[in-house]
Amino acid sequence: MSAIGTWFKERIPLDGDAFREMTNEPVPNHLKHWWFCLGGTPAYLFVMQILTGILLAFYYQPAPSTAYESVRYITEEAAFGWFLRSMHKWGATLMVAAVILHQMRIYFTGAYRKPREINWMVGMLLLICTLMIGFTGYSLVFEQLSYWGATVGANIADGVPLVGGLIKNLMLGGETYNDHTLSRFFILHAAVLPVVMVLLLFVHIALIRMQGVTEFQFKADANKEKKSFNFFPDHIYTELIMGLVIMILLCTLASIFPASMGPRADPLTTPEVIKPEWFFYVMFRWLKLFPGAFAILSSGLIVAIMFVWPFIDGFVRRRKPASEFSVWIGILAVLTIIGLTVWEAVVAH
Amino acid sequence: MNASEQDTNQPDRRKFLTAASRTAMAGGLVAGYGTFFAYAGRYLYPARAADKAWMFVAEVSAIPVGKSRDFRLPSGASVVIARQGEDDTVDSFLALSSVCPHLGCQVHWEQVNDRFFCPCHNGVFDAKGKGTAGPPGDAGQSLSQYPLRIESGLLYIEVTAESLATRPLGDGHDPCLRPQPKGNDV
Repeated sequence: MSAIGTWFKERIPLDGDAFREMTNEPVPNHLKHWWFCLGGTPAYLFVMQILTGILLAFYYQPAPSTAYESVRYITEEAAFGWFLRSMHKWGATLMVAAVILHQMRIYFTGAYRKPREINWMVGMLLLICTLMIGFTGYSLVFEQLSYWGATVGANIADGVPLVGGLIKNLMLGGETYNDHTLSRFFILHAAVLPVVMVLLLFVHIALIRMQGVTEFQFKADANKEKKSFNFFPDHIYTELIMGLVIMILLCTLASIFPASMGPRADPLTTPEVIKPEWFFYVMFRWLKLFPGAFAILSSGLIVAIMFVWPFIDGFVRRRKPASEFSVWIGILAVLTIIGLTVWEAVVAH
Repeated sequence: MNASEQDTNQPDRRKFLTAASRTAMAGGLVAGYGTFFAYAGRYLYPARAADKAWMFVAEVSAIPVGKSRDFRLPSGASVVIARQGEDDTVDSFLALSSVCPHLGCQVHWEQVNDRFFCPCHNGVFDAKGKGTAGPPGDAGQSLSQYPLRIESGLLYIEVTAESLATRPLGDGHDPCLRPQPKGNDV
């Protein structure tokens, strides 16, 4: 062994066998199906968001007088700024979609059941953080839709009984959108939420490693003698293929549909047609359908039910083990979400 | 105190000192970090509510019954102040806010439909600001009114002294971000 090798060996006492032992967890055969790699997809996109986000932060200035102009500078003048901003925007869209698809896969395969209830709840927190990071990021552009989206979002928080006013004040840094609001959104978007998400991801992955991945057997795999394959390099190859597909998809979307600039925020005029980002269409339509307090409280209740769903499902299954109850509820929920999203997308008001 | 008594008391004293030091340690940690987080929470909460001020609108006699007057606030927003009664009291006047009570968007007047409309969630209000359709109508909400005051025959309105809309948001706040003219190289 060379002197350099020995020097490192003395300081990092990890040999090839120990490293293989650490990383080479047997991966169940069903993970060769691509839809079981949906958990890795948001994690990969999250890393891309951090990279593109750091680059955007070099020019972005989070104040009402400078925010819009700095985004315009990134988009129109900085070299490849339009491309990096577009990648960040599309990365956010794909990340939200990937998290939702991953959660749907977990739900419909029952992978949240005992002993994985806690990991489902950690996943729910990650979903909420993803939506919040999407909301705060959208608000940073300081264009008309993002300004009014932030105003509506803060007033939704205000509608929560008892603590609503406190949340709104903490969120905006005052009663209404003011000089301190954008910097708060920026800190939440670029520091607080990413750190919280990294910690949650650590717990999420640690729990997966401790409990192992849920095992399924498909008909095609039934006759195979070996029920698992190696994490390294076999599963890493699958993830790399996913990484390549995502990179191609991101570059294509960013090039064909680059992020544009809407009109600058005008606190005196709400645009005639106002829409949030697509992943909030459900909530936006819900708020149009029902009076404020009911709409806000019922949304909170739905999120709370989703959060404790493994326990509700366990309660039902203990009484009726063969029940398909959760599948039907899931189908109903997915159809409702798709229905409300499409409804909001196709009408102006 | 002889040696045997000392031995008997030793464990009690040690227990006491252990418990006392643990309590002091726990108390110190809770007090220190508790104070830190309390200060952090208070720091993040706005220091004070936005300043309000009374602004002169017009002489009471200058607005006849049934008529209204457009008034521009420091925020740039336009408020219609209408006189609905003959008495020279504030109850005779109405100054509607253009902020929708549902989720804070700006309503606008639709002359054709004789109504205020909020484009965010389709809220509809009649000419007096009463919610008639959409979420505000369902929840029985109305447009809020600016506080008015009459003093010595003069009408005043209470407004927020400063708002985001009073700030210039146009180009030129950061010269580094402004596009530089080309072709002026020396």
